[in-house]
Amino acid sequence: MNDISRSGFEAAKPVNPDPINPKIRAMEVIDTDFHFTPPWPVIRNYLAEPFKSRIWHYPAVGLEYNPEPANEKPGVGQDSHGTAGTGAEALRVLDQFGSDTVILNPGYNRPMSIFSEPVLAAFCAAHNDYMIKEVFPVSPRLKANMMVCQRNPEMAAAEIRRVGNHSQFVGVFTEFSALYEQIGNARFDPIFDAMRGQDLVLTAHSGGWFNHFSPMFNGARTWVELFGNAPIANAIVHLAAMIMQGLFDKYPKQKVLFQEGGVWWLSDFMLRVDEFYVSAPGDIALTERKLAAGERYLRKLPSEYIMENVRFSTQPITIPKNPKHFGWMLELCRAGDLFCFSTDWPHQTMDAGNWVVEHPGQINEEMQKAILAGNARKLYSRI
Amino acid sequence: MTDFLLCKQDEIQDGKGRAFEAGARTVAVFRVKDKFYAFANKCLHRGASMCDGAIADGGATIRCPWHNWTFHLESGRNVVDPSAALRTFRVRAEGDQLILSV
Ligand code: FES
Repeated sequence: MNDISRSGFEAAKPVNPDPINPKIRAMEVIDTDFHFTPPWPVIRNYLAEPFKSRIWHYPAVGLEYNPEPANEKPGVGQDSHGTAGTGAEALRVLDQFGSDTVILNPGYNRPMSIFSEPVLAAFCAAHNDYMIKEVFPVSPRLKANMMVCQRNPEMAAAEIRRVGNHSQFVGVFTEFSALYEQIGNARFDPIFDAMRGQDLVLTAHSGGWFNHFSPMFNGARTWVELFGNAPIANAIVHLAAMIMQGLFDKYPKQKVLFQEGGVWWLSDFMLRVDEFYVSAPGDIALTERKLAAGERYLRKLPSEYIMENVRFSTQPITIPKNPKHFGWMLELCRAGDLFCFSTDWPHQTMDAGNWVVEHPGQINEEMQKAILAGNARKLYSRI
Repeated sequence: MTDFLLCKQDEIQDGKGRAFEAGARTVAVFRVKDKFYAFANKCLHRGASMCDGAIADGGATIRCPWHNWTFHLESGRNVVDPSAALRTFRVRAEGDQLILSV
């Protein structure tokens, strides 16, 4: 025995701490946004001809400046916490974060900027076939949004009809940004026609920043402007199109989950769409769906469609320092009904579930359950 | 204040951290050359384990493994938001052993 241990210090124990709150491990957790990226050789193997023998690499895509290099950490913004491309790899991450069930999103970098629609549709089919043949059989905990060619609504609809009845596909993945026309526009109705009756949720996920050809993009310089805040503006514009152009009047059962577009703007948005609509509903009658239906107005106040048809995944949540303010924000944004937990693993702003259970003064037990799993269970009939 | 015996100095590699349970606390201990730093292991942002973080800025700061919040090793203060500070603890060498005061 050496001098030190004789001197009667208490011994500290070396530990490997689990950063996940034990309460999370005891509760049901559904992760509604997890980026799953099968390796290119696997996808290539599933490509139909002539694509398989003519495409040698996954295309380097992306139309906009990507602000990731502004952050020291390698891979920031994309796969900075790892990569999962097989069912076993995804399950390992679920266990690491205490998630019971996951909805896997196709995780490639902005595939919609592949302009050739047949090439893009071939990638989508290859991805979906890989999910069905090799990923879903690994575990019923693994669900997914199918990948579709958003650029071409008819092609997207054909893919939804081809694979949409697989019970582990729970939704359809689309992206919103200034690069894409609003999916709430009637031009995209073939997608909603194909989804009708299948109980599939439309995922609208942030998919880029501002378009290169926009002065607003050219004026931006920083990661916080582009990565942190542009998606909020984009989400607002895309959600407003869905509501004001009558998407939910034509497809009253269609559910939509917005991802990574922020949440706290909702309280203002709901007031604003209602107030502006009541003051100036005149051009609603001129939207394509309303012209076709011969209707003059929306059937409800705009904010009511949010409560009925739209939900929001939580990552990356922001939390004010004043707990009282946090409580008010949760209430104003109807978090207990509208929020669905997500990690966004493995992207840099990934959230673990800790925040949901570590503010019991603002998020009571009932709301914790709703955010972590209950709201997703209500949203997805296939879970 | 209680003194805890951690481990031998050379059981913590230069530039690396280890976590210890000292009474009710979990403390991350980092080594930068011959200096040792100790602070609360739980990141103030979303609770990542700081012991898995990386030394940055030439040995002046520690960066959280989840979202890069960066804290001065000496003061525990966040480099851009000084109101956010990790609780720091004194760690000293006695012979080849490390002693933590909590
Ligand atoms: S948990 Fe440490 S920076 Fe987010």
